[in-house]
Amino acid sequence: MEKCVIMENDFIVFHGDLQQLLEKVETGEMIPRLQASHAPMCKFFTAYYVISGIRHVVPLVHGPTGCPLYMSDFVRTRECCETRGVPLEPTACTHLDESHVIYGGEGKLLEAAKEAYAKYHPDLIVILSCCCSGIIGDDVESIAREAGKLIGCPVLALRSEGFGGDFRSGYEDAFKLIMDLMEPPETKRKGTINILGARWGPNPTEFSWDLDEIERLLSDIGIRVNAVIAGGCTVEQIRHAREVELNASWCYDWGQKLGDLMQERFGVPYSRTGQPYGPTATKEWLLGVARPLGMEEKALEVIEREMREVEPDLAYMRQALEGRTAVIEISEFPGPIRALSLARMAEEFGAHPVVINVHPYTIKERMPSIKYILETGVNPEIILTKGLFHLGSFRSSKETEDELEEIVRGYDNVIFFGNSGRFPPCPVVNLTLMNPAFQPHYGFRGIKNIAALIRQALENENLPRSRLFRGMLYGTTAR
Amino acid sequence: MEQRPDKGPAGTAAGSLDQCTDPYLRCAFNGTAQTALGVSRSALLAHSPQGCDYLVNNAFASQQCDYMETVTLCTKLCVDEIVHGGEDLLARTIREARDLPISVLFVISACGPEIVGDDIVAVCEAVQPEVKFRLLPIECAGFRGSQYDGIDIALDTMLRKLVRGSGKKVPGSVCLIAPHANANPTWPADLAWVRQVLCRMGVPVVATLTHRTPLSEIENAASAEASIVLSHDAGQKAADYLHATYGIEQVCRGIPLPIGMTNTQRWLTALGERFDALKIAEEMVSKGERMVMETCRRKWPMARFLYRVPAAIVADATVGIPLVRFVTEEMEMTPQLVALYSSQRQVRELLDRELESLGLSPKVALGTDVYKTRKCLADARPRVVFGSTIERHASEGLSIPYIVEVVRMMRQFRLIDREYFGYGGVLNLFECVQNEWTMAWRSKEKRYQAKW
Repeated sequence: MEKCVIMENDFIVFHGDLQQLLEKVETGEMIPRLQASHAPMCKFFTAYYVISGIRHVVPLVHGPTGCPLYMSDFVRTRECCETRGVPLEPTACTHLDESHVIYGGEGKLLEAAKEAYAKYHPDLIVILSCCCSGIIGDDVESIAREAGKLIGCPVLALRSEGFGGDFRSGYEDAFKLIMDLMEPPETKRKGTINILGARWGPNPTEFSWDLDEIERLLSDIGIRVNAVIAGGCTVEQIRHAREVELNASWCYDWGQKLGDLMQERFGVPYSRTGQPYGPTATKEWLLGVARPLGMEEKALEVIEREMREVEPDLAYMRQALEGRTAVIEISEFPGPIRALSLARMAEEFGAHPVVINVHPYTIKERMPSIKYILETGVNPEIILTKGLFHLGSFRSSKETEDELEEIVRGYDNVIFFGNSGRFPPCPVVNLTLMNPAFQPHYGFRGIKNIAALIRQALENENLPRSRLFRGMLYGTTAR
Repeated sequence: MEQRPDKGPAGTAAGSLDQCTDPYLRCAFNGTAQTALGVSRSALLAHSPQGCDYLVNNAFASQQCDYMETVTLCTKLCVDEIVHGGEDLLARTIREARDLPISVLFVISACGPEIVGDDIVAVCEAVQPEVKFRLLPIECAGFRGSQYDGIDIALDTMLRKLVRGSGKKVPGSVCLIAPHANANPTWPADLAWVRQVLCRMGVPVVATLTHRTPLSEIENAASAEASIVLSHDAGQKAADYLHATYGIEQVCRGIPLPIGMTNTQRWLTALGERFDALKIAEEMVSKGERMVMETCRRKWPMARFLYRVPAAIVADATVGIPLVRFVTEEMEMTPQLVALYSSQRQVRELLDRELESLGLSPKVALGTDVYKTRKCLADARPRVVFGSTIERHASEGLSIPYIVEVVRMMRQFRLIDREYFGYGGVLNLFECVQNEWTMAWRSKEKRYQAKW
C-alpha cells in the first residue's frame, strides 16, 4: 500500500506511517485549523490530577469556585471515592471574586493557607493558581514560602493557569514540583524502585488494575516499590524517593519527564520501557527493571512461569490474528499511547496494524513518547479522516463512524480493536477500559483478558449488533 | 453551629469569614452555560481557555442536551491571547461556526478574557452581519459569583436582549423561571410535573427559562400574565425584572416548592386560587394524596420505621427547604441539621418561616461547604442524611447509618427522570429511602461459605 498519500476531496486526510505523521506534525502541516475543534483539559486540571494523587494533600486553588469544584467532584468524589476506594480528601479554594480581581488576592491566599492547615491538618498544601490569580499577578510562590514558615507542613506553589500551557504541561510541572519534596538519600534501598507517572485519574486509561498487575509481577521477582508517584503515594514516600535503585514508569508517556529529571538531577537511573501489552513488551518491561537491579535471573523465572500459564492464550491469539489486518481506533478509549502499544502487540501475533484517527494534537503533545515508540521499531500504518477535524467534538461523531466503516471495507480479513461504540463490518474487540470485567490489559493477566476479548469478538461475529446503541450514538439515519 | 451570612454573592459562602472553602457550587460561568444550553436550536461558544469547556460539558449534561442537536465550541485561549487579547480569535471562531443550523449562538466569557478586557459584546456586534443566526454575548466570568449568580446573569441578558415587549398578553398564562436551578439530578421531571399541572388547570406556558426552549418563546416571554420561579436558589431577579418591566405578577412566591404532600397541597392551592382553578387543584390534591397512600399501603415504605430518627438535610435550597417539612411531617423524622448551599436573604427567610411553623430548631448552616457540613454532621450526629454522594464520603467515620442520596448523585444515575415535585415525587423520595434502607441491611460479610 502506498503510504503518506494525501487524498484531496476524499475523507482521508492522511495515510502513511507514524514516522511520516510525526514529521508532518513537527512541520506544522497537520495541525487542525479550526480553532473550536478538539479541546482537551487545561493545565490547571492536569496539575490537579497529579497533586491529588498524594495522600493527605490539600490542593489550595487560588481562584473562583468553578475550577476546583469541577475537579473535586470529578476527580475526588467520583473517581477517587466512588471508584477507587480513596477517602474523601478536601479541595480548598480561595473563592476569588471581583474585588480580589481588582485589588489582588495575596492576603486572602496567605490566610487561606493558614486556615487550610488548621482545618484539615494536611501533610502538604499545594497552591494551584488558575486564570484569575495568574492574570492579576498574585505571587503564589512567595505566599507559599511565607505560609510554609507559619504552618506545620510544607507549602508548595504551582503556576497552573489554564491558559498557561497545554494539558501536558500541567502534568509535567506538577511532577517537577513534587521533586522539591525529595530529600537527599540517607541510604540506598536495594531492590527498590519508584513507579512514576501515575495520577489518581480520572483519566480512564489509568484504572488501577494495570498497576496491580505490575506490582504483582514485581513482588514475585522480589522487587519492592517505594512509591507510585503520584498514584496514592504519601509525602513520606516522596521524601525517600531518591533512596531507590531505579525509577520505572507504568506508562512511558507520563513517567518519562519525571524519570529523566530525576536521573539528571539526582542520578537515579530510569528504566525506559513501553507499556507492557503482550508477551514481548511485558518481558521487556520486567527485564528493563530487573536487569539494572541485578535480578534478571529471578525475573526470567517469573516470566517463564507466567508464560506457561498463558501459553493457551498466546496460541489462540497467534491463530486468531495471523494474517489479519488489525484496525485500531483510539478516538475515546483506550488512548493514543495504549493504541500504539496495541499495534505493537497485534504485529507480534502476525497481524498488520492500521491505527485510525490518532489526533495530530496528541502526537504534538506526546512527541517524546512517540519518538521513543518509533525508536523501539513500532511504526504502524496510520489513517486520519476528515471527521477528526470537524467542528466540535469528534467523539461518537457520525462522520468518523462512516469513515471507519468505509476504511474497514477497504481491507481484507479485518479485526477491529477499539470500543463497542463502533459498528464496523468486522469482528469488534471491545478494549474499552470502562469494562472492569476484563481488566487488567497489562502484563500476563492482560494477555488472558485480551485473548478472551478477541475470542468474544470472533466467536460472536455474526450476532446482530444493537440498533438501539447505534441509533443512540449516530442517529437513526446511520447506516 | 449556625452560619447566617447577611451579604455575599447569592448561594455562596462568601459572606462567611472563611478564607478557604471546599465548595458545593460551581462558578457563574457554569450557571450561565446551564441557562444558555436550555435554549433549543442554539450553540454555545465559550470564550475561554480549554479547561472552562469542561464546565460547559457539565452544564450540557445538566440540561440533558443531545450532542446531535447542540454544539459547544471553545476559543481555547492561550498565553498569546491573554497577553495580546483574544478578540480576533473570537471573531474567527464565530466565523468558523457560520454554517451551523442554529437560531442563536451564545458567546460566554470566562475569567481570563474578562480580566484582560476582551469586549465580547463589540466583537459580536461586528461579526453579526456575517452570520445568519443571532449572536448573544453574555459576560459571566467565574469570579462574578456562584452558578446561581451565573443563572441570574444569563436570564437577565436574555430577557433584556431577546424579549419583545410589545406583544399582547396571553390570558391566564405563565412564564416558568429557572427550572434548572434545582439539585434534583433529573430536575426536568420536576418541570414536566409543573407543566402537567398547569395544563390540567388550563394555564398556558408561554416560556420556560430555560429548558428545551425555542428562541421564539423567550422573545414572547412578556406576553405571560404571571411567572412562577421553580427554584429557591436562582431566578428571583428574573421574576422581579419581568414584574417591573412587563407587569408580570409572580405566583407562589414565598412558599416552599411542592415537595411532599403538605407543600404540594399548599402550592397547588396557591396556583388554583390565582388561576381560578381551585376546584381542579383540590381534586388533584385529593387524588394525589389517595394515590400516594394506596401505593404506600401496597408497597410498604420502610421510611415508617425511622420514626423520629434524627435527620440532616444537606442540599440546595430548592430541594432542601421543602424537604424540611416532608421529612418532619410525612416521614416523621426529626431534622437536627439543615445545611444549604445557598445563603441569600430570601432563602434564610423562607427557611426560618418553615422552621418556626414546624416548631423545629435544628442547627442551620447556610452557604455551607464540605468542611462545614462535616463539622456540622459530627456535631449533630444524625442517623439519616438526605444529601449527596459527597456526604456519603464526607461522613465516613461518623457512624451515620443512612445516607439517602437525593441530590448531585455521582453514580446512581437514573435513565428515567424522576420528579421530586408532586405526588409521584413523594414516592420517588420514599424509594430513595427504601433503597438506602435495603443497602444498609445487606450483609457485608458471610458467616460461612456455601457448599455448592
